Amino acid sequence: MAEQTWLRQYVILERAALRAQLQYRVNFWTTLMGGVAYQGTQLLFLGVLLGKFGLIGGWGFSEVAFVFAMRLASHALYVVPFGSLRLTDEMVRDGEFDRVLLRPVNPFLQLVTRMFPLMSLGDALLGLGALVIFGLQAPVDWTPAKIGYLILAVIGGGLVETGIQTFFCGLSFVATSTFSLRIFADTSITQFSGYPLTMFGRATFYAFCTLFPMAFISFLPATVLLGRTSDVPLPTLLTTLSPLAGTVVFVLGYTFFTKMMPRYTSPGS
Amino acid sequence: MSTAEQVRAFRGMTRAGTRSVLIYRGDLITGAVTLVIQVVLAIAVWRIVYSGRGPVDGVDARTAVAYAAIAACLQSVLLPWQFSSLPMRIRNGQIATDLTRPLGLIWQVFGQNLGVLLGRLPLGAIGLAAAAILGALTLPPGWAAGLLSLVATVGGVLVAMLCNLIVSMVTFWTFEVSGPLIVYRFGSAFLSGSLIPLWFMPGWLRASVEWLPFQAQVYTPVSIYLGQTRGGQALALVGVQLVWVVLLTVLLELVWRRARYRVVVQGG
Repeated sequence: MAEQTWLRQYVILERAALRAQLQYRVNFWTTLMGGVAYQGTQLLFLGVLLGKFGLIGGWGFSEVAFVFAMRLASHALYVVPFGSLRLTDEMVRDGEFDRVLLRPVNPFLQLVTRMFPLMSLGDALLGLGALVIFGLQAPVDWTPAKIGYLILAVIGGGLVETGIQTFFCGLSFVATSTFSLRIFADTSITQFSGYPLTMFGRATFYAFCTLFPMAFISFLPATVLLGRTSDVPLPTLLTTLSPLAGTVVFVLGYTFFTKMMPRYTSPGS
Repeated sequence: MSTAEQVRAFRGMTRAGTRSVLIYRGDLITGAVTLVIQVVLAIAVWRIVYSGRGPVDGVDARTAVAYAAIAACLQSVLLPWQFSSLPMRIRNGQIATDLTRPLGLIWQVFGQNLGVLLGRLPLGAIGLAAAAILGALTLPPGWAAGLLSLVATVGGVLVAMLCNLIVSMVTFWTFEVSGPLIVYRFGSAFLSGSLIPLWFMPGWLRASVEWLPFQAQVYTPVSIYLGQTRGGQALALVGVQLVWVVLLTVLLELVWRRARYRVVVQGG
């Protein structure tokens, strides 16, 4: 099929997936709330913690909440369009992936439209809301340039997360279960990407920039906007360019995915 | 079925539940790694928040760090992501077979959940070992506190399992239960005190959390273990757990009575 119909294919498949999910009304609303509850508890935690202790790693609540909001908005950009990637390892294990290979649509596209991740709408709602509220409260003098940078950073962060998840999908072709690994990535990103990551010491921080590139999701670009690049043990130029990392991580993840796909063995055959 | 046979059947369900966890070795190993990293980071966060500070609200750094580590381990054992196969069984119609079994459905699910929980105990132990290596664990102030915290842990497990079961029952009405389960899971993560102990919550929040069953799951056993709640107060907390076990059992029975008439066998 022609390349330019990708977006159309995506829209058609995703709409069908959404319809399938909307069949269960009560579940729709509770899942939406689930998304809010999941992220909301994290925010509540930070609020209670900093309400008691004032500072963490030298950062106050308005700054930490801003990093958190950026992370949440990025997360929404991953999870709304790409959230059903998490189903991949189950599909590979059950052999449902056979069907994907038989259809004349790009496998990756089919995977991302497998099921509409309803919970993500809750994330998106909270993410956008939090970004506006905490963006206004953060000690940043907003200019059009800074807003542009913020948008780029949020998109970049979403791509980093998508890239990491796509990498796991690739891994699921060779490992039987990647469930815990993905839960690990999810929980680490949720629980820790809101903190000023430099507070964990240099070695850990560098690991967050390379092995598990969580620092790019919101922390590094946030230091630029908050004028705190001096906290970061990296050249300022590199920190400033951090929104570009999303593309790099995504391309790496997708390449790994396509490289691993031929190693899929249909179970039970 | 005689009582002895019922007990045997129950144990069979428990074994099956445990096996369903232990069979995925890869998941267990990554689960352990995940928990260890979570514990390590939680310890780091609390040490950093406390750096150079004296006790806050009468809680010193050592206690707060130990609390964070133990609570994370307990939480990961109590609330695994897939704690019950009940929603899946209702959705794909397997519930029909389950209902014809001589052991009541509630006991089947309860047995299976208990099995899952037992299967996850090694995970919690690995998490605790990591905390111990980092010097984050402390001993209870005395034998009595240690024993009482064990009792409270069992109470917490019961409360958690009853809550899980009641939430799973929602599937009889909605067929899809991932939504309620997620709200429950994350709501309870905060409300159980596993993210942050009740000591540090502002008054209004703490007062409302104390009226909910979740604090009985994690906060009660850990705060008794650490000697933050002592004597009569500790006994009172265990008493609250007992009240919750009774109340939730009654609630479960009521929900189940109504659910029985809602059973629709899908794909039948």
